[in-house]
This record gives sequence, C-alpha cells and structure tokens, in this order.
Amino acid sequence: MATAELQAQGRGDVAEKSSFHIGMVFPMVRATLWGFIGYYAAAWITAAIMGQVLFDPAPVLFGYLGGLTGWVMGSGIWEGWIRRGFGGAEAPVLTGVDRYFRFSPDSKATATRYVVFNIISFFFAGMAAMAIRVELLTPDSTSWWMSEIHYNMTFGIHGLMMLLSVVSSVIVAGAGYYLLPLMLGVRNVVFPKLLGLSWWLVPPAVVATFMSPLVGGFQTGWWGYPPLAQNSGTGIILYGLAAATLLTSSVLGAINIIGTMVYMRARGMSLGRVPIFIWGLCAAAILLTIYAPATYTGVMMDMSDLVLGTHFYTGATGHPVGYMDQFWWLFHPEVYVFVLPAFAVWLEILSAASSRPLFGRNWAIAGLLGVVLVAAFVGVHHYFTAVSPARFPIFMTLTETVSVPTGFVYLSALGTMWGGRLRINAAVLLVLMGMINFLVGGLTGIFNADVPADLQLHNTYWVVGHFHYTMLGTVIFTWLAALYWWFPKVTGRMINEFWGKFHAWWFFIFFNCTFFPFFIMGIEGMNRRVAVYMPYLQPINDFSSISSFLLGAGFLIPLANLFFSWRNGKKAPENPWRAKTLEWHTASPTPYKVFPEGMEPVVVHRFDDYSEGSPDPVAWDKTGAGESR
Amino acid sequence: MNAKENLWRAFGELVVVWVIGLVIAEGLAAWMVASWPVLGSVEAHVTGDATTYLIWQTSAIFALVGGAIIYSAFRFRAKSMDDTAAPYYQRRSWKPFAITWLVVSIAINLANTIYPGMVGLEDLWGAQLQTEHNKNALLVDVTAQQWKWSFSYPKLGISDVSKLVVPVNQPIEFVLRTKDVIHDFWVPAWGIKKDVIPNEVRHLFITPTVVGSTATNPMIRVQCTMICGNGHPMMRAPVKVITPAQFKQWASANSL
Repeated sequence: MATAELQAQGRGDVAEKSSFHIGMVFPMVRATLWGFIGYYAAAWITAAIMGQVLFDPAPVLFGYLGGLTGWVMGSGIWEGWIRRGFGGAEAPVLTGVDRYFRFSPDSKATATRYVVFNIISFFFAGMAAMAIRVELLTPDSTSWWMSEIHYNMTFGIHGLMMLLSVVSSVIVAGAGYYLLPLMLGVRNVVFPKLLGLSWWLVPPAVVATFMSPLVGGFQTGWWGYPPLAQNSGTGIILYGLAAATLLTSSVLGAINIIGTMVYMRARGMSLGRVPIFIWGLCAAAILLTIYAPATYTGVMMDMSDLVLGTHFYTGATGHPVGYMDQFWWLFHPEVYVFVLPAFAVWLEILSAASSRPLFGRNWAIAGLLGVVLVAAFVGVHHYFTAVSPARFPIFMTLTETVSVPTGFVYLSALGTMWGGRLRINAAVLLVLMGMINFLVGGLTGIFNADVPADLQLHNTYWVVGHFHYTMLGTVIFTWLAALYWWFPKVTGRMINEFWGKFHAWWFFIFFNCTFFPFFIMGIEGMNRRVAVYMPYLQPINDFSSISSFLLGAGFLIPLANLFFSWRNGKKAPENPWRAKTLEWHTASPTPYKVFPEGMEPVVVHRFDDYSEGSPDPVAWDKTGAGESR
Repeated sequence: MNAKENLWRAFGELVVVWVIGLVIAEGLAAWMVASWPVLGSVEAHVTGDATTYLIWQTSAIFALVGGAIIYSAFRFRAKSMDDTAAPYYQRRSWKPFAITWLVVSIAINLANTIYPGMVGLEDLWGAQLQTEHNKNALLVDVTAQQWKWSFSYPKLGISDVSKLVVPVNQPIEFVLRTKDVIHDFWVPAWGIKKDVIPNEVRHLFITPTVVGSTATNPMIRVQCTMICGNGHPMMRAPVKVITPAQFKQWASANSL
C-alpha cells in the first residue's frame, strides 16, 4: 500500500478531535494541590518529631519527598498505574486532548509537554541570566539591584535550571521522545509509563530549585562543593534533591531510548538503516546510563553530610576532592548527553536539506559512540587545580583526544554538503550557525584540556564563554532548528520562515557579541561567580551586558512565531522538506494511532538515498505478515 | 537531476577562501596576542606561551573548518526551497578525505600533548624543583578563610599580614592552607592558580619577574577563584612586588 493512501486512511474509533475544555486541566491542579499538601504534611510532621523548624535540613528533605510523591500521584499516576497494584481498576487510557494535561503513556504527549515546559524553564532561567548581567553592569556591589547573596543564588539557579531542565531535555526529550518511535516505525516506546513518569518528575524539581531561597538558599553555584554546601544555607537540600530527581527523569528516558532501539525496530530496520538522529539519542542514553549513578550517589552523600552528620566530604576526616571526582564523573559526560543528539540533528537535517546521502555515516556513528567511550576519562579537567600533578599528563592527553571522534561529525557534515543542493530554510540556517558556534566552543575547550593553559584560565570567564558556546550556541541553536524542522510534523502547520531567519541572524549576532568578550575577560583576569569585579573590566562587561539584553529580548520572536504558526500558520504539506525518514510517512499532525490498526511499515531500502529514481524506503504490510513468511 | 559540476574547481575556490580566512584569523590572533596582559612570573611565561600558541593554532583550525562550512553552504546552495532536484553527486564516502581527516586530527592531538602540554608541564615542574632545592627560596604561609587572606613569612618572623609583599626575581614557595571551605589562590599576573583544600596542605611555586603593585596594575592581586560563599568576589588581597633591597627593608620593619 502506498504511503499517501495510508495517510488518508481512518484510524478507527479513537477519539482525537475532542476540543479543549478547562476541566481537562484538573489533573495538573490536583497534582499541584497534592504536592503542596505532601510537602507541608511531611515537613511539619518531621519538624514536630525532631523538634525542629520548617527550614531545617531534615524537614526540608522529607517535605520534598512528600511533595514529590503527592504531585506525581495527583498527576494521574495513582489511578493510571499504581491503583492497579493495590487491586483497584486501572483508569482507561485517554486519547484526546486530555492526555496532554495528565500522566499519559503516549510518548507524543510526553514529548509535547517537555517542549512546553522547556520553554517555560528557559524563560525563567533566562530572566535569571538577565538579572546577572544587570548586576555586572557596574563593578561595585549594585545594592539597588541585588545583594551578593542574591547574586550567588541567582547564578546557581540559572546554571542548574539551564542544564537540567533545558539543555538536557530540549533535544533528547522534546524532539527525541517524539521522534524515537516514529523514526523506528513503531507505535510507542518500550516502557511508555516510565517515559510518562519522566516528565512528571521535572516540574517539582524546577519549582523546588526556584523556591530554595525561601529556606535559606545556597551559595555554592550548581557544583554544590563541600564543605561550603554544608554551611551556606538549607536551600542546598532542595538543590541536591532537584538535581537527583532530574537525573532520574533523564535515566528513565535513557532506558526507553536504548530499549526501543534494541527491541522495537520495524521490520527491515537493520542497525545500518537506523536514522542518525536515533544513533545520537542512543549514544546519549548509553552515556547517561553508565555515568549517572555514581554522580547522584555523590550528591546524596553530600546531602547525607548535612542531614545525617556523616563525614564523607566534611569535618576533620572529610575529603572534598572525592566529591569532585564523583561529581564530574557524570557532569562532564553530561554535556555530551546535550550535544551528541544535537550533532545528530545537524546530520539528519543536512542530509535531507541537501538531498544527499549522509556522507561517511559509519564515521559519524563511530564519532558519536567514540565520544561516549572517551567521556569516561575526561572529567578531571574540571579540577586540574585541585588534584595532584601525577594526574595531569594522562587526563590532559585523554581530554584532548575527545576532539577526534567529535571531528567525525564535522567530517560527515562537510561531506554531506559538498556537491549537494542545500535548501537553506530557518532550520538549516540555525544548524549552520550552531556548527560555527560549536567550532568556537570546541576549540576554546582545548585550552582547558591543556594543563599549562588551564592553570591560568581555569575558573575565569574564559570557561564561562567556552561552555556558553557549546550549550547556548550549539544546543539551543539546534533546539530551535529542530523545533522549526519538525513543526509541520507535530502541528501540521508551517512556521513563518521570514521571522525564523530574521531571529536566527539576531540570535547569532548578539550571541557572539555577548559571549565572545568572555574569552577576553578571562585572559584579562576576571574570575567567575563574582558580583563585584575590578573596575578596569567594566567597559567590556557593559558591552557584553547590553548585547545580552538584546539577545534575551530576541527570544520573544521565536516564541511568537511558534505560537502564531501553531494557531494560524500555513497548512503544511505531508512532507514539506521531502525528507525520506519514516516519521514523514505518517500523517501530520501525527494521529494518536501513528498508523492504522493492522498495518505496519516495512523498511525495504536505506532512508538517505536521495538519488533520482531511488525506491521508496518504506512499504506497508499487514501486521504479523512477516511471521508467516 | 542537476548537472554535473566540477568539484575540483570548487575545491580550488575553497583554497582561495582558506587563504583569505587564514590571513584574517591569524591577523586577529596577532592583534589579540599583541595586547596580552602582563606576564609577571616565570610560570606566567609558561602558561601564557601555551595559551598564545593555542590561539595561533585554533585560529587556523577555525579558518579552515569554519571556512569550509560557510563556503560549502554558500557554493552548494539550492536556488530556492522548491529546487528539489537531486544533485548529481550521490557519493556516500570518499576514503582519501576521511583518512586525511583522521590522520590530521590525531596528529594535532599528539602534537598538542607534547607542546604546549608536556613541555609546559616540564617547564613548570623544572621551576618547582629548582625552588624546592634553593636554600634562598622565600617561604610564605598563606591562610585562606571566609573571606580574607593572611600571609606569614616563617623564616623572617613576620606573621599574619593582610598584604602580600614579595621581592622580584626570587623563587617563592607558597604553603596554602584553609580554615574553612575550599578556596583558590590566584594572582592573575603570575599566571597560575591552585585550590586550597580543607584538611590538606598545598604548595605553589612562583618566581615573580615584574615589579609592580595592585595599584599600578590590577592584574597583580591575590584573588580567590573558587566560589566560597557570599564574600567570594571581595576575597582579594593587595600584592606588592618590590626590589630585594626594598624587601629587606620592609621585612626588618615588619618582623617581630
């Protein structure tokens, strides 16, 4: 059966067109209510038993756990999942608009919720960044704006939110969880309920981090280094628990990515045909599964020193460098969790946009997986100034080595464009800009891998510039590209290309004006995490601050673009970019049942063959037909 | 299908782009290196040389790779979004390019590990060994706490001064201790820093080579570079690098 015929076919009796009414938001309201009740009940009971007050460490710890449980149960997990374990009935699966507002095993609804929440998180964490740049307009303590105390909390919250609720999930979750089953030709992921749960863990962690100043805040930045963590405010409890919750949420997704890719590919989808974006997700997921546990154990031990009075890292026998070892075991590789899927998005988009097969596909896959391998050996470059010199040579060499597999991605991208016919829309433009930004971010990283240079540049604005190029400059550029590219798939409408391109240039120019000066500040001796700096650094800081305000204001353009295009955009054709991958073989917007009951895609040819007269890579067959053959 | 194009000709044009790009990038690198801040110690020359060398190198790599990205996006662009005819070339790989890329990227890594990596470390460790075996080396005890620095000169009988005064061209061994949380001892002009860890004693070896003070050059200051709480940005101490004769005078005036 041809794809076009199949797209037009009905999907049976699934209710999809139910229109939104306010009652559908009930699970979210109930979750919030149960969350607050859970928090205060657990915190008050703990405080009463231990004779403490509400903002002591133990009540905050148990309060958070109570609040998290209440929120998760209220979201619909109680009747949709848990109640059955106690002998009750399981609630029916909702297939209409309802599913976006409650716990749902539908991966598309989960991914959509991620996108919306990422945008909200990005807005608030971005406002924190604006507050930071206002403070840095003047070298002295800008007391009319905020104190050093508030400044420390602000950059800590900015850092944690941007890392763990924005860049960690924008591509992996927002684009990834949506496309994972579609690109593999299946209806859902392997553990749909775990994936549904993963989103519901994110909002309470984010709210807790933002609320941490109410219980005393924390002064450590997002590193939470002991022993400062233990003596600078109870808010660190919320920070540590939020970090662990967000990592757990990521791991739930990672398990799904690996499991779905290994066990649930469509017939004919050999590993050699799996789209490169899925390989990128898979690399990130393997990485998370390997490296995450050691690190959140470290964070929990840090909490234990504070709440239970243990002495892993503090006190006369504590060993603070041990925390750094555990912390950076994941949190350096974590940045590869952010960028590997971004790399894969570049390659996926460039191949389709230039109508060329993905050049050196196996090199690119080797690059993505090679980074996962090398990631185990690189974390130490985050604390060269703290370790014995015996560790310098080996970790310097291994950290520099990561540029080799990373380079394969550029090899593949350049080879794909070369001799192609690149159609440059807003998404492709953002990908190209992201590639240039990552080039700067990657090359400036060599300085931090090289120990002699790093001993001077460590913990200066050089480092801040470096990671903003890789995170904002690469991941967020690629996020926008992915949103624009797959927007027709999700909403059935086109974005406004003019405003997309206009904002891409706006973003690129003011991003560079804001962050390139950071390298010069670092060389000129400006250390990071300071509300107060030496007056000779003011002119360059002012330039950066003013650029950053324009950069920040510019994000209203894509916000408006996405919103208005969703409501009133031009109706999209079924396959606007003429991409061949499987997600474009189903109807847009994707129906709840991705393809009709009883029908399944069979992959009969590789997806990136764009030559004239190449066969359609997908044939449709009756479910189970493969077994009888 | 689009017509066959001469890709070697396109490569020739790319070489022209590369030459122009290299001239611009290295020109900017030269400008950046020419306005480099003060290198005020033996160690600063090692770390500063490593940094400037890498700026030359990465500027070149940026021009080559970035130039190739921009050029191929421009040269091989479609006229419009409706221009969907498949290009003539549908090659999936080309070994000479991939192998060259692999060999060059490994070669750059190995070269960087040797210089500025290991060579720089050998220089730093060599300077450290000389100081450790130098009987005339000045010993300075540094104590960090939230949020101030204090300095003692045990051999000279000077204790707990809040300003770091040192003679020029004399090797110094700083003995770093902290009373509370992790701090980091850094004088930007001296080009090297070291964390001060609770329960541990750390040693940092520096030979200042430029006379000056915080008042004359703000790069010559002690600055905590590890987040240590609310007072972190203000955790600074003034530094004065003076001649040995002046230092003798200062020491006798301040000893107990």
